[in-house]
Amino acid sequence: MKPESLVGKSPTSPKLTTGCEVIDGCLRGGFPCDSLTEIVAESGCGKTQLCLQLSLCAQLPISHGGLDGSALYLHSEFPFPFRRLHQLSRSFHLSNPSIYANHNDNPCDHVFVQNVHSVDHLFDIMPRIDNFVGKSKTRFPLKLIVLDSVAALFRSEFDNTPSDLRKRSSLFFKVSGKLKQLANKFDLAVVVTNQVTDLVESSSDGLSGLRIGNLRYLYSSGRRVVPALGLTWANCVNSRVFISRSDDTICKERSEKDESGQRALRRLDIVFSPYLPGASCEFMITQEGICGVQ
Amino acid sequence: MEISTIPLSSSIRGKLISAGYTSLSSISSVSSTDLARDVNITEEEAFDISKLANQISGSNGSCINGAKNAWDMLHEEESLPRITTSCSDLDNILGGGISCRDVTEIGGVPGIGKTQIGIQLSVNVQIPRECGGLGGKAIYIDTEGSFMVERALQIAEACVEDMEEYTGYMHKHFKANQVKMKPKDILDNIFYFRVCSYTEQIALVNHLDKFISENKDVKVVIVDSITFHFRQDFDDLAQRTRVLSEMALKFMMLAKKFSLAVVLLNQVTTKYTEGSFQLALALGDSWSHSCTNRVILYWNGDERYAYIDKSPSLPSASASYTVTSRGLRNSSSSSKRIKMM
Repeated sequence: MKPESLVGKSPTSPKLTTGCEVIDGCLRGGFPCDSLTEIVAESGCGKTQLCLQLSLCAQLPISHGGLDGSALYLHSEFPFPFRRLHQLSRSFHLSNPSIYANHNDNPCDHVFVQNVHSVDHLFDIMPRIDNFVGKSKTRFPLKLIVLDSVAALFRSEFDNTPSDLRKRSSLFFKVSGKLKQLANKFDLAVVVTNQVTDLVESSSDGLSGLRIGNLRYLYSSGRRVVPALGLTWANCVNSRVFISRSDDTICKERSEKDESGQRALRRLDIVFSPYLPGASCEFMITQEGICGVQ
Repeated sequence: MEISTIPLSSSIRGKLISAGYTSLSSISSVSSTDLARDVNITEEEAFDISKLANQISGSNGSCINGAKNAWDMLHEEESLPRITTSCSDLDNILGGGISCRDVTEIGGVPGIGKTQIGIQLSVNVQIPRECGGLGGKAIYIDTEGSFMVERALQIAEACVEDMEEYTGYMHKHFKANQVKMKPKDILDNIFYFRVCSYTEQIALVNHLDKFISENKDVKVVIVDSITFHFRQDFDDLAQRTRVLSEMALKFMMLAKKFSLAVVLLNQVTTKYTEGSFQLALALGDSWSHSCTNRVILYWNGDERYAYIDKSPSLPSASASYTVTSRGLRNSSSSSKRIKMM
């Protein structure tokens, strides 16, 4: 056993751009490789939008903040938004014509989509990813795994009994261990999404409001929420990012471009991360994808 | 000296010689239990033989080899260096820093700064002796993948700046005497191991003895975190406890043998006691015996606090700290309080 040399590694580990300068600035370049990043948000905040955009951005050359690789999108929430991916890929193609100049392929060709309908199914798939990465001969090696969402896998199958919860906790660590192992072995960026639950004040379980990370309370759409799957899962991820939506703030910029002229403003917060200070930024979702607001 | 000088029955003497114990020193170098097993005699007989051998060879009479008196140990302990955490409030409650020769466990919720403390210690252990440090090297065992080189570099750069300021202040007239340490050298002196399964973790811990023998200036071993791989795939909790306590013993042994600090980072979990959920460090009750010192990190309002939960020599106390871009520091509000007083 030999230690790895830290000096040999590049001082800033490779990052995957989100395709938006404002969010990249907040994340110091994007989502890191060899690390597991979680995006927590209630439904309709843009988790899936961000993940779709990441899957396409992985194809960008390293000089443009991409990873020169393809993406594997594991989705457990149905249906998969193929139309939206197609829509995004067209504008992605238009804005980055140079990558596809000499090849007659489509950005969608390098996003692999696999449905996951249970935890056991996920464990069936993960060993195959090893083979998949090792043998793939496309010009884009696999560089990103998205699991959207981890909560959907775990929120239905288990009862609220001690034995089921213990089993569930052990599976959390197994899923996360395996994903981190893949991330380490092939230097992949791994992004998982998670849902939120509303926090009911004065509930019998006094720990559900436990503070984790930089933010004392998480608010979305005016309600106080906590990430799903609890403290145990929080131990399994390297970084956590929270996206929230507030109903009040409507952004009226760019009105000449879109018909309604109104877009719900979303806010992204770094909850915890081993390399990032607490920070936040705001963005909105347009037809072309996610777009930061200064 | 030959063993013939010990008054023994010829049968036992024969047994001793055939087992290879031909000199007095060979007898006094083993424990009486080992002697009993090797020579196939009862423990009482073996104990008597060891005692006689020690008396004749004129040693200090203690049957247990390596026993020291408490007075000597106190002196030794006082002279042991401590690794600063870069946060003086935290150093104060720790009695000057993380102590060498001890196993210290640090636990807390995700995002409280466990990894930050780990990275900070792996940098601070390298502060040269002239600046009041140890001038050692660090082993960083990463089980979670949370160690980021860019963060380590950031902390190392801040540390080098601070040292330059310190030496500049101490030796205003000795410009030549400046510390020439570069952030890159600091990274070079962190032996980084990434482990991806508990089997790898066990194998690595077993290998550490050899590795540190070859790299004697290792002064801190950081495991971030000890827990991660042990919270999956263990249906047999009794087996997990055995494996973990064996690992804990190895860490204790390393800490004593090479007089280095072992820092184990742990996660927290919820524990169901007396009808309510409470926070507790992971790995269960039996694990809590495995560490000499135990520090718990928690949020108090908007401030991070560290609390000495268990220590044989330190009073329980708590102190606030903050994680800045330069690393661990005193929290700003506590310095304000001191100024006001």
